[in-house]
Amino acid sequence: MLDNKGQIRIIEAFLAISVMFSALVLTAPMSSTPDLERQGTLRKIGTQVLVKLDNNGTLGKLIESGNWTALRQSMDLLLPAGVVYNLTVYDENMQGVNTQEVNNSNQQGSEAVVIQYLCVTQSSDIHFYTIKLQLAWLK
Amino acid sequence: MEKMDKKQSSGQVILIAVLAMALILLSTQIYVFEVNMSTVNLDSTSLNDYFFAIKTGSRNVVTGSIANVSWSGSNAVLVANLDRWVTLVNRQNQFGRSTLNYTVEETTPYSSGIWLSWGTNSFGVSSAFAHFTFNLSDREVDADLSYFINVTTTLIVEGTYKTILADERQVNVTVNLSNEGKPALASQVTLYYRILDSWLAPNASNNYVFTDYGNGTYFASFLADIPSQTVEVSVLVRDQRQILVQANATCSQI
Repeated sequence: MLDNKGQIRIIEAFLAISVMFSALVLTAPMSSTPDLERQGTLRKIGTQVLVKLDNNGTLGKLIESGNWTALRQSMDLLLPAGVVYNLTVYDENMQGVNTQEVNNSNQQGSEAVVIQYLCVTQSSDIHFYTIKLQLAWLK
Repeated sequence: MEKMDKKQSSGQVILIAVLAMALILLSTQIYVFEVNMSTVNLDSTSLNDYFFAIKTGSRNVVTGSIANVSWSGSNAVLVANLDRWVTLVNRQNQFGRSTLNYTVEETTPYSSGIWLSWGTNSFGVSSAFAHFTFNLSDREVDADLSYFINVTTTLIVEGTYKTILADERQVNVTVNLSNEGKPALASQVTLYYRILDSWLAPNASNNYVFTDYGNGTYFASFLADIPSQTVEVSVLVRDQRQILVQANATCSQI
């Protein structure tokens, strides 16, 4: 009788340890919150690249003419090395516009951010586009 | 016996206590994670960039609209385009709830935000003017931004002529183009002179000379047989934003 009690105590202790351990394991990924500074830098770089391209109307012109190669080249030039990106263009009805992929790598990155940018073409026949730019630091 | 029951249930109490601790740990971590995420969203630089992008978009809408109107479009184009822009912006929720409102300038000489004056007094103007208020509200931010966009292309034409022989005139025309009051370059400048009811463009047979000073000032000179004592010229200019503007001028004799 006394021996059984001891075994139950051990099982209870194991159960308690396993519950605590699983709680720690579950929360561990959350505790490693994104590096805010690196993400902020990435967001800043991405937005400034889009603003720079949009300021003189280049961004709208490239999208309107469907010149995805030139758009990719512009992004490659303006973004610093070590940053991976994927750019998707949507029209006013949120239908995808780009017929080709606009990105620089299929590799995975870290500290990814998504920037949503509104673009209006500088033309007499105005078109509105929503641009989603995914950025990450190359691992 | 009672003592035995207490002892037997002590393991269950430990389990419940451990479960409670695990829950507390989990909820604390989730709270910390959420707080961090909201900090990411409210980064001030990102907000400034967002405001700048909204202003850039508004400016492009106004510029595109006046370009359209100057190319024989309806005055209602500005309001229609601004409605589309406002709908698009108000759908955004990246940093919180976006609310963009606008009013078009109605004070004379504007009507529905448009002022188009291609007069005979040596002065031509194509202009669009709209006021905007933008509000961004979230749990932790309530930001307001008021701004206006005035896109104005102005053309000033001055002409002189001298009689060479009988009806033959030497005509000199100076053209000044500006965007928002600052000298601006043209994409295209077309000059006409009037003979009776016809407007003719001078060409090489008129010894036509056109000089671009590169600072928004253009000079044109030509020879033409103009029977009237009144020498009238008309200049049509397309600026680099594709906005058209025209002005007519009566040349003074020198």
